[in-house]
Amino acid sequence: MPERKTIQGYLAAVEEQIRWRRARPVVARELERHLEDQRDAFAAEGNSPEEAERLAVEEMGDPVAVGTELDRIHRPKPQWGLLALTMLLALAGGFLRVRLFAGWERYCLGSDPARTAAALGLGMACLLGAYFLDYTFLGRHAGAVYIAAVAAGLLSLWLSPNVNNASYYTRYVVLCYPVIYAVWLYACRGKGWKGMFLAISGGVPLALVCCGAPFTQALFLLLVSGLVLLLAAARMDWFGIGRLPTAAAPLGVALLMALGAYRCGFGASRIAAFLHPEMDPLGGGYQAMMNRTALAGAQWLGEGSMGDQYMRYPYEMIVPEADRSMLPLTVIYKLGWLPFLLLMLVFTALMVWLLCRCLRQKSRLGRLTALAVVMTLGLQAVFSVMLNFGFVLFYAELPLVVGNLHTVTDMGLIGLALSVFRGDAIARNAGPENAAVPLRISCNKWQNNQNHEKVLEISLVLKKW
Amino acid sequence: MEMDKGLISGSMALLVMKLLEDGDKYGYQMIEELKRRSDNTFHLKAGTLYPLLHGLEEKGLVTAYEREAAAGKPRRYYHLTEQGSAALREKERAWNVYARAVGRVLKGGACCAGA
Repeated sequence: MPERKTIQGYLAAVEEQIRWRRARPVVARELERHLEDQRDAFAAEGNSPEEAERLAVEEMGDPVAVGTELDRIHRPKPQWGLLALTMLLALAGGFLRVRLFAGWERYCLGSDPARTAAALGLGMACLLGAYFLDYTFLGRHAGAVYIAAVAAGLLSLWLSPNVNNASYYTRYVVLCYPVIYAVWLYACRGKGWKGMFLAISGGVPLALVCCGAPFTQALFLLLVSGLVLLLAAARMDWFGIGRLPTAAAPLGVALLMALGAYRCGFGASRIAAFLHPEMDPLGGGYQAMMNRTALAGAQWLGEGSMGDQYMRYPYEMIVPEADRSMLPLTVIYKLGWLPFLLLMLVFTALMVWLLCRCLRQKSRLGRLTALAVVMTLGLQAVFSVMLNFGFVLFYAELPLVVGNLHTVTDMGLIGLALSVFRGDAIARNAGPENAAVPLRISCNKWQNNQNHEKVLEISLVLKKW
Repeated sequence: MEMDKGLISGSMALLVMKLLEDGDKYGYQMIEELKRRSDNTFHLKAGTLYPLLHGLEEKGLVTAYEREAAAGKPRRYYHLTEQGSAALREKERAWNVYARAVGRVLKGGACCAGA
């Protein structure tokens, strides 16, 4: 054990008192720099190096008392409320899947209580596993995480069975891609125009995996969340090239992509079916028309009616995907509008809570990661509600409620966001990632000019940050 | 002059925030500045300062960021937030009331002084 009279010995004694492992290096680094300054000052007064170090350590005070006091301040912030709400929604989703789809095996997959229970167990493990994970690991190994995610996507394309003309497991891998893109963006910070180029081009392999599935919803999700993340990065002058160019470059790329898609007629039939399903009621517009019929016959509480035209057929037979993506519609039709609204109220509360916490994050990596999670879940929910209400743009699942593997993935993503919130107190102090380029310029001015106006200028620059 | 620890410990947050009012500083700078401004009366231990600063940061009264100091070494600078400025004004007002009251008592009381 190092001698306490040395700087390293003192730091080790302080660190021993701090129980939160992640806080230790952050605290130790600051104290070490202070001790070095103090040691240099004593050495400049004519003391020998050993004597200067001893005096500097003595000047600091009792390491146990200091460590104990810092331990009291630096604690992870438990997220019990958000954890409980996530578990509650996942359990409600599992209950609805088992309860509503029982006996539907004749027409569709129906319910499988054992698989649902296994998925919920796995989901809880993913939620808690990600919650206790040190999410800064993603930032420290951003390149490796990115390559592993692309490799996982390619592997899933190669090995997955083809279900509904799409690679089955790829859809769950690509759900994580907005988060992976946030991590990639983090790795490109402060690299100027090269970083900007890398940031935009880094989205291409991820987008290609989405196209390879093919999984249009995930592609759209990746593009929208990628654009929002880049705009958020622009607000922080992420690449050090100014806010306007950082915002203009991705907006320009997005505009070109939108124009290109329009000129090529990409998704034209999908948009036509979205806007006018009645033009093709037995083809592309069938799902939307059946959904609207079911909604029209729904009641506030209790099972609805599809009307005379469809009386002879059971709901689960004539509404495609009734036991998968259309679970919200099934809730409305079978149980009524009130249970659906209650479910959506809880889900919206979770999303708003997550978003509020996300916007308060001080750590840049944490803020981008949590924002990517919120956007992934939020956009899926919007598309899911549109789909169930008869506006079919994408086949999307309501997060935490629809689908076993989907629930597992969503719980893992939420766990990651909660890990960010849990560790924010220390992540914001964690070092160079939070060094702000414009701040540096302004503070140099302050060092040369001690007058009141310059001090005021610093305050303004800091406020923007 | 060495002051009684108990006398100044309660007002240490006030002094530290006051130091930050006219510009961002790192810990070592604050200790030196406090010594200079108080004619070596307040000799704040670093072991007291950092828990105090981290506590203020936790309450949102100050924020911290890293940048290189004049010597080229990276340092954690502390910045007084708007919330911190408001808390400082309130603490200053309370301190002035307290100091006036103590002064009056030490001089023999407001009623007696006028008599």
